[in-house]
Amino acid sequence: MDILKKIFIALGSMDRRFIFLLVGFSVLLPKLYPDFFTLPIKASSHSERVFAEIDALENGAKVLVSFEYGPSTKPEIHPSAIALLNHLFSKDIKVYAVALWPDGNFMATEAFSAVAEKYGKQYGKDYVNLGYKPGGEAVVKGLASDIRTMYTVDLLGNELDEIIVMENVKNLLDFDFIFSLSAGYPGSKEWVQFACDPLGIPMSTGCTSIQVTDIIPYVENDQIKGILSGMPGAAEYEQLVRNTLSLRGIDVNPGKASINMAAQSMAHIVIVMLIILGNITYYLTRKSTKKGGVK
Amino acid sequence: MDYMEIFGVWLSVFLTLSIFSYLYKDNPFYKAAEHLYIGVSAGYVAVISFWQQIQPNLFGRLWPRIDGNAEMGILKSIWYSIYEFLNWLSTLGGWLDRSIFPENGIKGFDQISFIYIIPFILGIFMLLRLVPKLGWLARWAIAYIVGMAAGLRFYGFLNSDILMQVKAATVDFSGDWWSIFNGLILLVGTLSGLVYFFFSKEQSGIVGKVSKIGIYFLMIKFGASFGFAVMGRISLLIGRFDDLIISNSAENFHATMWITCIMILLLAIWAFLEKPNNGDAVS
Repeated sequence: MDILKKIFIALGSMDRRFIFLLVGFSVLLPKLYPDFFTLPIKASSHSERVFAEIDALENGAKVLVSFEYGPSTKPEIHPSAIALLNHLFSKDIKVYAVALWPDGNFMATEAFSAVAEKYGKQYGKDYVNLGYKPGGEAVVKGLASDIRTMYTVDLLGNELDEIIVMENVKNLLDFDFIFSLSAGYPGSKEWVQFACDPLGIPMSTGCTSIQVTDIIPYVENDQIKGILSGMPGAAEYEQLVRNTLSLRGIDVNPGKASINMAAQSMAHIVIVMLIILGNITYYLTRKSTKKGGVK
Repeated sequence: MDYMEIFGVWLSVFLTLSIFSYLYKDNPFYKAAEHLYIGVSAGYVAVISFWQQIQPNLFGRLWPRIDGNAEMGILKSIWYSIYEFLNWLSTLGGWLDRSIFPENGIKGFDQISFIYIIPFILGIFMLLRLVPKLGWLARWAIAYIVGMAAGLRFYGFLNSDILMQVKAATVDFSGDWWSIFNGLILLVGTLSGLVYFFFSKEQSGIVGKVSKIGIYFLMIKFGASFGFAVMGRISLLIGRFDDLIISNSAENFHATMWITCIMILLLAIWAFLEKPNNGDAVS
């Protein structure tokens, strides 16, 4: 028993760099050997809600997609963006991209170029990328009253009045749905506060994991219609889109989030085990310190 | 794949591994990557903000495109001569090509909006922070930003975060047992959490007990936040590993493998050379 105790205490005091290595390997191994680490993905009610809301939109509906993330949070949110565009374009929905983050421009451009061609969608006719505007909530408020006060030209420099898809689009009330792909401020919260709640436009979000506890009260109160929580949320949505589109005769490749979920799960298992180990060691160390103190 | 693209891949691998090297300890690779990241981010945001907001939305409103051949009134001529002067400044006296101030105004708007002179002046005030004697003028711009943001956010928070959330905390007794139970937990959690942050009364007796319940609810929230934070960070790690694995392909001349080996070697040499210096500093 004493040996076991010593082992636990020794493990508990191991160099933090070994823990980094352990977590690193737990991510790396499923990436290198994906066949050995396959885990099923089951959609949560929140992801199902997002899917149902988007799927219920009629053909030709107008959806505003806001890109509020950059390369640093791309692994968490970009898979949601790709799956969302697959879903929207498969239903012939018009997509309008804006960016509240400067890097959002790149993310939107990359997502459109990955998906649009497959569905034969044309820039300016089926979708448009309006680009980035600094100002956070002031931009959202501006879009709510008149888009043309915020944007005179799109990302490519075309005047808004010359873009076909911008016809009859004056402000946010002309959209059927808003989707916020958010990694922080300004993001989903600002869309809820300054667009969706005051104007009553339905909205969903795909956000980083760290934001989930801040956003979930809006979801529970139906201010936001469902949430894609980080990479797991993206993976669930990817599965739902893929399954549904394959039933409709459209073949979609497995998304990046679905592929990476095994690595994510393995890392979680390792971290949970380390937390348990840390607690056991803490308990044993505290007990022996107390005993020492009595002596 | 051309050489510039391969260079880009090698650079991205180098920067990724430089940031990762902090896990060993603070070192020159990490410091270089960190400084580069901050500099590039600041520069990028400044350039994007200028070209997507200030140039089209501020200058574009002050000097919209006009017909170069049309007759102009005297005031308009003076106004557009200011525009030409700004162009002269921005092109260093005509040495550079016209870009910020194109000929005959900026396209996008039809009419001059003189009201935008106010944000233009406030913007200049903000930059005067760099001039010590006139730095006080920046306070006017900051006061405007703080006032505007506070007023703007007040309504949003009051409506979406207070009124609607208070409404959401009510218990609907017409629902099924499970929803009533859920609603009660939410109500108890909200009230006890608020009591914990009520500092006008000593937290003893019944107030103390209720606030203790509040602490448990807060702990659950913090636990969930921590869990989600870990999940998010692992997702980002997976993203970087994805790129490192792709960069290690033969097409990229095994960038990850080579840079990892070279970096480990250099870090080992650096650590070896640094140790005596540390010892000197301590002694």
